[in-house]
Amino acid sequence: MELVKKVLNNDRASIAKAITLVESSNPKDKEESKQLISSLINHPGHSIRVGFSGPPGVGKSTFIESFGTYLVNKNYKLAILAIDPSSNITGGSILGDKTRMSEISKSQNTFIRSTPSKGSLGGVSYGTREASIILDAAGYDFIFIETVGVGQSETMAANLVDIFTLIVGPGSGDELQGIKKGITEYADIFIVNKNDGDLKLQASKTASDYKSALSFYSKQDNQAAKEVLLVSSIEKQGMDTVIDTINEIIKFNKLNKIFDLRRENQLSYWIKEEIRNQIQSKLDLEVGNDTELFDMTKAVIKGEISIYDVSDHFLYKFLK
Amino acid sequence: MDKKNNKNDQLTDWKKKFEAETKTSSADDFLINTDEDIGIKPLYIEDDIKNLNFVDVGSFPGHNPYTRGPKASMYINRPWTIRQYAGFSTAEESNNFYRKNLEAGQKGLSVAFDLPTHRGYDSDDEIVMGDVGKAGVAIDSVEDMKILFDGIPLDQMSVSMTMNGAVLPILASFIVAGEEQGVAVKDLSGTIQNDILKEFMVRNTYIYPPDPSMRIVADIIEYTSKEMPKFNSISISGYHMQEAGADNVLELAYTLADGIEYVRAALSKGLEIDDFAPRLSFFFAIGTDFFMEIAKLRAARTLWYKIMKDFGAKNEKSLTLRTHCQTSGVSLTEKDPYNNIVRTSYEALSAVLGGTQSLHTNSFDEAIALPTEFSARIARNTQLILQNETGVTNTVDPLAGSYFIEKITDEVASKAWEIIQEVEELGGMTKAVNAGIPKLKIEESATKKQAKIDSGDRVVVGVNKFQNPKEPKIDVLVIDNEKVREDQIKKINLLKGSRDNKKLEKSLNELTEDAKNGNNLLYSTVKAIKNRATIGEVSKALEDVFGRHYATSVGVSGVYGKYFEGNKEFMHVTKKIQDFEKSYGRRPRVLVVKMGQDGHDRGAKIVATSFADIGFDIDMGPLFQSPKDVAKDAVENDVHAIGVSTLAAGHKTLVPELMNSLKELDPKNKIIVFVGGIIPEQDYDFLYEKNISAIFGPGSNIIESAEKVIELISDKNNQ
Repeated sequence: MELVKKVLNNDRASIAKAITLVESSNPKDKEESKQLISSLINHPGHSIRVGFSGPPGVGKSTFIESFGTYLVNKNYKLAILAIDPSSNITGGSILGDKTRMSEISKSQNTFIRSTPSKGSLGGVSYGTREASIILDAAGYDFIFIETVGVGQSETMAANLVDIFTLIVGPGSGDELQGIKKGITEYADIFIVNKNDGDLKLQASKTASDYKSALSFYSKQDNQAAKEVLLVSSIEKQGMDTVIDTINEIIKFNKLNKIFDLRRENQLSYWIKEEIRNQIQSKLDLEVGNDTELFDMTKAVIKGEISIYDVSDHFLYKFLK
Repeated sequence: MDKKNNKNDQLTDWKKKFEAETKTSSADDFLINTDEDIGIKPLYIEDDIKNLNFVDVGSFPGHNPYTRGPKASMYINRPWTIRQYAGFSTAEESNNFYRKNLEAGQKGLSVAFDLPTHRGYDSDDEIVMGDVGKAGVAIDSVEDMKILFDGIPLDQMSVSMTMNGAVLPILASFIVAGEEQGVAVKDLSGTIQNDILKEFMVRNTYIYPPDPSMRIVADIIEYTSKEMPKFNSISISGYHMQEAGADNVLELAYTLADGIEYVRAALSKGLEIDDFAPRLSFFFAIGTDFFMEIAKLRAARTLWYKIMKDFGAKNEKSLTLRTHCQTSGVSLTEKDPYNNIVRTSYEALSAVLGGTQSLHTNSFDEAIALPTEFSARIARNTQLILQNETGVTNTVDPLAGSYFIEKITDEVASKAWEIIQEVEELGGMTKAVNAGIPKLKIEESATKKQAKIDSGDRVVVGVNKFQNPKEPKIDVLVIDNEKVREDQIKKINLLKGSRDNKKLEKSLNELTEDAKNGNNLLYSTVKAIKNRATIGEVSKALEDVFGRHYATSVGVSGVYGKYFEGNKEFMHVTKKIQDFEKSYGRRPRVLVVKMGQDGHDRGAKIVATSFADIGFDIDMGPLFQSPKDVAKDAVENDVHAIGVSTLAAGHKTLVPELMNSLKELDPKNKIIVFVGGIIPEQDYDFLYEKNISAIFGPGSNIIESAEKVIELISDKNNQ
């Protein structure tokens, strides 16, 4: 495949086209996308995938601009996948993340792609996993996946990355209640942003709140300790500790085989998801339009048969 | 029968007759809702001006609350000042132009700077390649400033400078140019705009973040109140808000709220209110809503009096709002451009009946290009005719006592006061601006206005109704931007070769230190400028401490689409987009950008939000991007099209560069590029030759434009 070669050569336009392909809902594109991913997956790069999530307004993009610029200045190659939550129900989306990344987008060492989440609650969009395989093959050192954290979507985002980071603002104590249990399972690093100006005091208080909340979390021996970091994106403070912490956790995880284990788990999760999706679409195709289903539904309403009889009937028919 | 009953009978009688004449059941059906959400009735009566909130009907001009004017005699003693804003590309040309006007009897002069100067870049900076000499004069150092005022005695001439971003080095250069002319600082007179808050809301020619920017404003107010008694330290401007789409109430409220914030900043420097408040001046836009504009100016004076009294001001000059006005640039149309002369005339009359102290009238060709000598003359004559032929100067505040005018003055004041209180609750304008609230409200108002025009709800003659089948061709001014840039670079090199670099370095270090330790920055800037620092070098020295500000606002969604619920044309385009999505597996995707240093983003924002409402996925590019950055952004996001918004004549250099960069990154790219904004027809062929697919001038209907874009995209992808 021509496209594969070009992606491996880090051709900017081809990487972009490849991502379009894996995001497309067109059936022909989907077939091509499968081929593309099947061959690219055999050319793994060395990317570390980092997830950044957090509630709206905490300055995720501004942090990424600041942190990313820091990394690029240290000659890292960086790809950013920004899942933009702004989505109208009827119309299209306005993808505005890049207005907060004006410096970093200038660099030749970055590749920044925004994707409309199409109403999937700001979580991961269709094709994000595939996109990160493309970018890995294209040779980026880091792949950042930026998502808006709204409840459950973090679980999905965490399932795509090697290290998962939650960004919060000063005074997010209320959220603390909600995330205590769920998110601490998934997040490896907590970044308290806006540690500047009037908010400084509040930011350090928030950081200690997180630290004490984390102390209730029982860590297993072969797990890296979860870290709470204070940064200021505007003043560009704390970026060095963020990268140091990421590197340390990755090192620890590799040493303890957690790194590979996570990737294996994610792969089998992906395979199961693929199976589920394929069954789902076949099912929709075969059963969804079935006039038999229509008739049998009527029969259920009339009380002639039970719904379990009907579902067993179709399952049997489908598996045959 | 007493008089009162008689009036009631008359009212009943009037209603009956009105309903018969108009064949409706109630006069209330004729209530017209303005952009400000004020209901305009078919008739105003005595009852309407009873119990007003702010207006004291029957008060006198030159007397509080100064609704009727800051002075008792107004235009009878001295008519308003005709002050035309102008700036040609180079200091030499501008100087020539000023001298000619001064000989012709103009009393003050007003300088427009080019975009790089505003943003604190020297002309030799690669970032500003396409912007040098555009929309004003390029000033790189005090040497340019000296040429600008050569032969113009600065102790006699009042100079107004529109400068906000690079306000420190520009004011310092003015001071040093005066000194080297032999004029003492204390004898300099004029105004510097120095209104940074509105830059964050609408115009985007800022350099530093809001907090350090506010400190610079305060430093300048402090310096001028001590050293320059004849100089106005700030011109608090609503003009650009209306230009960006704000209605009159928003314009008034945010301008006065800005004023309050500047007063507080100055007070925090330990100044007494009456030390500086007499030198605060204002600047409003005058659009086509004739009576509402008059009401706005009267309401402005009324509210400012209240605000200043609350601050404890005693000096009458502190208590009165004095303002400059300019006729509206956005009300001008590219279509049938001679109509603009008429629009500007009505707007000028409105400003005068509102009681302005000085006025700029726009040239009719400003929707297409920068003014020519011919169009500039007609613009000035518009005011000369008003002053000399119409008799408007004979009576002070001639509309006072009109039930209608007094009532809407009070309504505008009341609504604006509410918004001012909202801002106060947020902790003042700097906080509100930091939170992005005013910007969003203005963008929402702009999008609504556009929707009204596109849906035909609002008539614009020659644009959406009464079109001229034979569009006239007009001559426009052409600027050779390359030549200007080369000349400026030569001058910079000359300066850099002849100055004492040790002295310069020391003074720049001092400046950086002062930025850190809180000393008044204008003193050290004057020193650096004397030592021949360039505007860019001064700005950089401060940027090292303050950082550069980047805007992040994204735009509102849903406002435009809501106006078209069930509209046939709208649905038609939406359907085309859905069909596209079905065939190509994703929505058509358009990157909307501005390039270069032009920060006027109203057009880009309106296109982005309305296109998104119609069904496109819109990538919003950051401001101040180079063509190369834009190409990278477009390719990485695999967009179908790029929409370039250009208002400052940068299209001839920046757009071709974009096309080249695109080709470089992806030789086989299928990206459609279309351009919108102010582009003279003479340049259309040039742009089409560079493979631009479509050009949309001001006044283009958005739905029609969207249809054209989706068609172009579909065609290109079918190939």
